[in-house]
Amino acid sequence: MNIVALFKLVPDLVEELEIDQNGTALNTDFLRLIINEFDDHAIEQAILLKERSGARVSVLGPDIEGADDVLYTAASKGADQVIKLTGDFQGKANNHAMARAVASTLKELQADLILTGVQANTDLDGSMGALLAEYLDMPYVGYVSGVNTVDGKVVARKEYPGGLVAEMEIKLPAVLGIQAAEQPPRYVAVSKVRQAMKTATIEERPLAEADLSGGSTIHRMFKPEAGTRAEMIEGSADEVAARLVGIFKEIGVL
Amino acid sequence: MPFRETFWNIPHWAEIGQYVLGLLTILVFAYGVFRRVKRWRMGKPEKRLDRIGERLWSVLVDAFGQVRTAQDAYAGIMHLTIFWGMVALFIGTALATVDWDVTHLFFGFQFLINGAYILYELILDIFGVLLLIGLGMAVYRRYFIRPSRLQSATAWQKALTQNFDRDDAYALVMLTLITLSGYFVEGLRIAVSKPEWAPWSPVGNALASWFIATGDPTNRTLHLTLWTIHILVAFVLIASIPFTKLFHILAAPLNIFFCTIQPAGTLIAARNDDQIGVKEWRDFSWKQLLDFEACVRCGRCQDNCPAFASGASLSPRNLIISLKTHLWDTSSGHKLHGDVISSKELWACTSCRACVQVCPVYVDHLASIIDMRRYLVNEGEVDALLQKTLANLGRYGNSFGQSERMRAKWTQPIQPVIKDARKEAVEYLWFVGDYASYHVMFSDITRKTAQVFQKADLNFGILYDAERNTGNDVRRVGEEGLFESLVEKNTAAMDKCKYNAIITTDPHSYNTLKNEYSANGNHRLVFHYTELLDQLIASGKLQFNRKLDYRVTYHDPCYLGRYNGIYDAPRRVIRALGCDLIEMPRHGDRAFCCGAGGGKIWMEEQPDVKERPAESRVREAAGMSGVSTLVTTCPKDLVMFRDAVKTAGLEEKILVKDLIELVHEAL
Ligand code: SF4
Ligand code: SF4
Repeated sequence: MNIVALFKLVPDLVEELEIDQNGTALNTDFLRLIINEFDDHAIEQAILLKERSGARVSVLGPDIEGADDVLYTAASKGADQVIKLTGDFQGKANNHAMARAVASTLKELQADLILTGVQANTDLDGSMGALLAEYLDMPYVGYVSGVNTVDGKVVARKEYPGGLVAEMEIKLPAVLGIQAAEQPPRYVAVSKVRQAMKTATIEERPLAEADLSGGSTIHRMFKPEAGTRAEMIEGSADEVAARLVGIFKEIGVL
Repeated sequence: MPFRETFWNIPHWAEIGQYVLGLLTILVFAYGVFRRVKRWRMGKPEKRLDRIGERLWSVLVDAFGQVRTAQDAYAGIMHLTIFWGMVALFIGTALATVDWDVTHLFFGFQFLINGAYILYELILDIFGVLLLIGLGMAVYRRYFIRPSRLQSATAWQKALTQNFDRDDAYALVMLTLITLSGYFVEGLRIAVSKPEWAPWSPVGNALASWFIATGDPTNRTLHLTLWTIHILVAFVLIASIPFTKLFHILAAPLNIFFCTIQPAGTLIAARNDDQIGVKEWRDFSWKQLLDFEACVRCGRCQDNCPAFASGASLSPRNLIISLKTHLWDTSSGHKLHGDVISSKELWACTSCRACVQVCPVYVDHLASIIDMRRYLVNEGEVDALLQKTLANLGRYGNSFGQSERMRAKWTQPIQPVIKDARKEAVEYLWFVGDYASYHVMFSDITRKTAQVFQKADLNFGILYDAERNTGNDVRRVGEEGLFESLVEKNTAAMDKCKYNAIITTDPHSYNTLKNEYSANGNHRLVFHYTELLDQLIASGKLQFNRKLDYRVTYHDPCYLGRYNGIYDAPRRVIRALGCDLIEMPRHGDRAFCCGAGGGKIWMEEQPDVKERPAESRVREAAGMSGVSTLVTTCPKDLVMFRDAVKTAGLEEKILVKDLIELVHEAL
């Protein structure tokens, strides 16, 4: 079975985010990128599946700063193939474009199971997994927190609000949006990553020309504006109630 | 003429038999030693033959002189009397044999005659008494006082301890038998032959008086019987040395000779073969295997271990005993990790070094603990908090997971602006450290440090956002690769600066910068800020306007005290301030760790902890009469102790202050 785990890099929130001069995007000067946490779980889940029932795991991501680290770390965890997609990602790429472009690579890799984070904080135009499934014409299940393979099929665990859990059987090939791996991503010792740097090779594959259609257009990006201060109502219960009624009338809800 | 016929009343066959037995004994003994050495050699190679002079000196001081053993008065007297008693009696017996069967037999002369002989008898009688006193003390302690450190803690230890109990008892019984039978043989000989110099053997003479009434030939028969028993017990004892706890007679001096001779603060690097860290016992070096074998189960390490005292599952004594047992346990199929040593034990260690400091036979528990941790880290077996911290250290170079751009934020209000050592030459490069840079509780104190330096007209600068965690505790967690990468980054930053010496706030940074960063011949002059203050005060560059009349006590941080031997400089500074310094019972090299070191401060608290080390420590400080302030010189201590003062409800009783706060106050 070929499992492909897909990741993207998102702004690291330890740095203050700044908005660029046009007011429609982040200022990339101080931007520092980090693997999207859910994608990290997707990679872990892929490795866990390999360890449990054998599979060939490929890990795939865009060639931007930080990608090598992620790929070497994946290799030291046990990924068989690590690939970075080369092309122009600056500002333009949205999830629609990315999914369309990756789809052909995924076909080349003959992926049976595609795992990716269920969401990322840069998803402005829908989640990656669902878009991929659409372009590849595969089934998609999102918010998955555990996967098992059974006779060429997978059984995915999906959690619903209210403490409900569903287990569903999905025919392959399929795309899963991972919310959490069965275990949190393991720690990889630095010496292991260094070892992988010597032994593993990162494959480069050019990405098809970006087709941005279907993505969203940003008109304005801004930091949350602080609302007016809260007013504390003091006094006995009756006084507070009377004041509340007064306020409701003032703003016209009563 | 006073002399003794060594084989008086011993038939010729018995004398010959003795030599045959002796030969057999030597064979068994040699086989036993060979078997042990063979096992050690199954460990990984390690070079331990440098600086022979120092090694021999340690053997002289602590194997023969037993200075460390004597640091515990009762156990010290007990052991020294047994040891020297046995040594004297052994030499005595050997001399008598040589006197009779070598010099007398072959060369026709005896040296144990006249005055020499009388002195010989007297000395041996006295040493015999000393030996019996020591043995009595040992029996009384082991079976009546029953100190907890001689008992075992865990269930599987208990199962093993049956053997250890027998082993312990065996040594005492055999030694007692030898001594008593020796005295009785002497007494019977005197009773029969009644030499006029008998009073010079006071004990033998006293015993003889019991037997005079019995008379010959009974006494002769008795004598021969007891002599035979004496000889048999002695030979069995000697032959059994390599198979019982008595083996420490050999293993202890060897272990002391081969001890780690580099500075305490220089950890032995992870061995660089296919296996990172220790997975199976054969991954230990031969010296570590010797460590386990040299342990005499005295429990001093356990008594001084903060992890053990806190109720955590770690006892350094049990750890070593378990490892030793595992070394010889070929049948049970136990795995080193999991069956023999739990990861909980390994993660409980604060790397305080108290165990290593007190071990009379120089066992280096810490080296083995860290080697086993290295394996766990490499397997990714770390708790969630530690994992996050290590990831932060790898990514941002600090344990707080903040941007390096925030590292020097504390400097903002300071005027004049602190020099950037990357841009201009300075005399002192101040390595601030993570806690002093990022921790909210400390930034005010760090500013005060800067002000004190400025007041003393120090030409200093910092690395601003190029500074990284030094990796002292990263290394002790067992993350050698991350340590190396931190060293590379810091070294690259420092190499671009012009400075004469480094000063640190943090004893942990101090330790590794001083003892480990210099590994590639890159020696740096490193001072802890207390050393610098001490110099500045002595040279008159730092003067105080106010005299502080507080009554304070001082906590020695592990990495300043035990690791680097800096006990006096901070104390001199405290006294120079005018403070009245009262020592806690556990101070100097016996100072009780705050519980933060070795990466503990980055780990989740273990549920079995009953009293956190920091709480035990602040209670100790608060219990000192009239003491209002606990002074520390380590940012981690400050954070741990201030927190502990709150949880222990001692806010009214004691304040925790960094020394620099007092210095700042006195300016
Ligand atoms: S270093 Fe300290 S905490 Fe660790 S085993 Fe030794 S005494 Fe205990
Ligand atoms: S390791 Fe050392 S201090 Fe600890 S029990 Fe053994 S001999 Fe005693």
